Amino acid sequence: MTLVENPFFVLGLSPDASRIEIEREAQKLLGMLELGFEAALTYTTPLGSRERTPEAVRAAVAALRDPYQRLLAELWARHAPASLDEAPPPPAAASSGLRKRLGWRP
Amino acid sequence: MAETPLYVGIDLGTTNSAAAVFDGERVSVVRNAQGASVTPSVVRIDKQGRVTVGTRARRFLEQDPTNTAAEFKRLMGTDKAIEFPAGGVKKKPEELSAEVLKALRQDITDQLGVSIERAVISVPALFELPQSAATSEAARLAGFSRVELLQEPIASALAAGWRADDAAAGTWLVFDLGGGTFDASLLETRDGLLRVVGHDGDNFLGGRDFDWAITEHLASLLSVVPSRSNIHHTAALRALRVAAEDAKIELSRGERAQVTLAQPLSIDDQDVDVDLELTRATVERLCAPLVDRALDVCLRLLASNGLAPGRLAKVVLVGGPTVMPFVRQRVAARLEATLAEGHDPMTLVAQGAALYAATAGIDGRAATSAPTTGRQVWLQYPAVSADLTPHVVGKFVGSDAPAKLKLVRNDGAWSSAEASVAPDGTWLTSVNLLPRRACTFAIEATGNDGKRVEVSPASFTIVQGLTIGDPPLSRTLGVALANGHVQVYLERGAPLPARRTFTHHTVETVAKGSKDSVLRIPIVQGEMSAAHLCRLVGTLDIGGDAVKDTVPTGSPVEVTIELDRGGRMSARALVPSIEQVFEHVAHLLVPDAAPEALDSALRDLRRQLMELRTDAFRHGLSQVIEKLDRLEARLSEAERDIDAAHGGDADAAQRARRALLDVDGTMAEADLARKWPDLDAAARQSAITASSTVGMHGTEAERALLQEVLSAMDKARKDKDAPELERQMRLATRLSSAAFNRTPEAWEWYFEDAASELSRMRDLPRAQKLVTEGKAAVERGDTEELRRIVKALWNLLPDDSEARKRGFDSGVR
Repeated sequence: MTLVENPFFVLGLSPDASRIEIEREAQKLLGMLELGFEAALTYTTPLGSRERTPEAVRAAVAALRDPYQRLLAELWARHAPASLDEAPPPPAAASSGLRKRLGWRP
Repeated sequence: MAETPLYVGIDLGTTNSAAAVFDGERVSVVRNAQGASVTPSVVRIDKQGRVTVGTRARRFLEQDPTNTAAEFKRLMGTDKAIEFPAGGVKKKPEELSAEVLKALRQDITDQLGVSIERAVISVPALFELPQSAATSEAARLAGFSRVELLQEPIASALAAGWRADDAAAGTWLVFDLGGGTFDASLLETRDGLLRVVGHDGDNFLGGRDFDWAITEHLASLLSVVPSRSNIHHTAALRALRVAAEDAKIELSRGERAQVTLAQPLSIDDQDVDVDLELTRATVERLCAPLVDRALDVCLRLLASNGLAPGRLAKVVLVGGPTVMPFVRQRVAARLEATLAEGHDPMTLVAQGAALYAATAGIDGRAATSAPTTGRQVWLQYPAVSADLTPHVVGKFVGSDAPAKLKLVRNDGAWSSAEASVAPDGTWLTSVNLLPRRACTFAIEATGNDGKRVEVSPASFTIVQGLTIGDPPLSRTLGVALANGHVQVYLERGAPLPARRTFTHHTVETVAKGSKDSVLRIPIVQGEMSAAHLCRLVGTLDIGGDAVKDTVPTGSPVEVTIELDRGGRMSARALVPSIEQVFEHVAHLLVPDAAPEALDSALRDLRRQLMELRTDAFRHGLSQVIEKLDRLEARLSEAERDIDAAHGGDADAAQRARRALLDVDGTMAEADLARKWPDLDAAARQSAITASSTVGMHGTEAERALLQEVLSAMDKARKDKDAPELERQMRLATRLSSAAFNRTPEAWEWYFEDAASELSRMRDLPRAQKLVTEGKAAVERGDTEELRRIVKALWNLLPDDSEARKRGFDSGVR
């Protein structure tokens, strides 16, 4: 789960949201997306606005049903800075002497 | 949608099938023409080509076994055709399943007078993609226009939880012992939401094993003992098995049963009379080890979720064998739990499937093309809602939408506040439901002039009750890469429907016009990171004869994999350089299981097992030895099935094939455990590196997350759980990479490292050019450009041909 995919950001809810509030919001967003409501098409993250898809909403609500994943999502959502520059992606899996030196390969 | 919808669920079982319907308030089991709630999954085709299904066909299993087929569900997804010599026809397993589905569909029409076109059909939790595809095909052949597939344990959980009152909230266990498979699901109900906490099972344990245990016991008492590996004894054993099954059912009520066959059995040209007595105690003694095996799975599931026996609120029993009194007693005793009463173990799955059809809004009735009157509105609402105040979202079609609307509940006791319709025709409001009831709401719309406007549909229905989230994916799905690893697209448990896209790069050139030049994108399913340990479920091919232009090595390919709610897969590859899309997925059949191939696979596995065992003894790894002992037992079972395969039992052959694949996967895990000391050292090193990198460059959230990962690593090290430790190490590496990539020098380091591999690169002139450009970018301090160059260099690194073979000859990285 990356910062921009945080379920609380995707659903536009605070980390205090109750289980039923999460289900209700997800059901509303899925309906709005299906009918093409302008307001549902994007969501806000510390890294700027992102496109909201039905898949992302489903994944978000599924993640928040799992207590462990919810805990992680809360942690990330609470500690997220107001905004920051996007970090580059991790390197591709290539045979790399450097990575070996850094102790990243078993 | 003024009429009440009718939701249909079907349990297409190995031994028996059942159908149930849900009208929003009540679930009812559909009875067949004989008045029974279950229909045997048996099909007979006679010499006139007439098809008989169910109880009437089952009667012929003994008299006319060559023209009567049973247990074909186990062959779904294979290309094994079943022959009916009298009628001179061959049928594929899905065609036979279609006959059973047709019979059930007809029963629904006969009982309810409604023609059914849509339904939810349950499938085993661990069905592979080709098996699911075959089930969908069977439904299509049976005349269904739309079906969704649902995993059996979820269906039984939903049905068991539906009637549970809130006082029974807590953790439940569904003990589902079917004809051929055993599933244990741990679930929890809270706030009207059902959650599957965990799932475990044994794909090779079922009532059928009970029958064989009894059959083999009876056979051993005969004057001439028939053998499963002798093809000439098949008919005698089949007759004995039908008698064993009947005796088993009789012993659910009485203490003794007589096994008598009207005709003597013909074994090795001798007539052998069968007149034997079977007692309940004997059956219990024969079946107890099998029940214990199922209970071991349950205890393992409880332990992995931190639960001790005795902590379960209830145990729900599902499946024919759980009707046996001794099974019920044994389960209750070992799990120290109360058994949930009032559920029918034979139809619970079908009932759950019907409830799920409501959750998914799949009305079973054939669509009627009644003329619509009034302004058309598109509605989005949950057909079943745990929430008492769910949202309803709508949009009026076309211009000139009404100005306002309100929703009025049919009991007249509640109506919504007036909602305004936006200029684009959209509106949003919520409704009040009555607990455990189906509520219908009328839409009352008014125009700008305050006059009523007719709308279509004029009303809709929502049921308040237990809901379950989207169905989870049962096995991780990904693409095998040329380096032998798997790029995971969708993790196990991901909610369906789901779609994911990744960009890969080609590792070879696809020459335009060349038939031999084919780039393969293998799609695999499984939980291991090494591709060869996963199962190949389909391939996307980009052929030289299809491309508009030559696609050079290193070209990007955007691959998208999509699964619908029923787990049906589609995939496409977009090659941006030639603006062409490839969508044809070659779906694979479950591979054929020739007895000779199984023999040689078994020999190989035995040899590997021996090596692992010697090594484990040398290093004193008791946990590994224990695991290997279990594998040894599984191999012995597979050996018995292979024997039966030599005797012509195709079903046993498939069972053996899956068992061998499973053993192969588990052996890889055991092998990982054998390398424990190296892995342990690597884990320590990884923890130190990640701590220092994340400590120096990580964000606060990354540091907090790393703490979680480190404690999970500690736990995995304590438990000596190698696969888990590998998983956690991967997470630590990812956190470390993310933090490291944030440093200004990161890409310079990567560049230096990639440049040092220059002599090995595939396209040397291009690589040299990139290195020169990279040096310039370093001097300019142009990180963006450097990043592009490093990625291009990584794409030029060669692949190991052995690794590529293990990656199912994948043409992408």
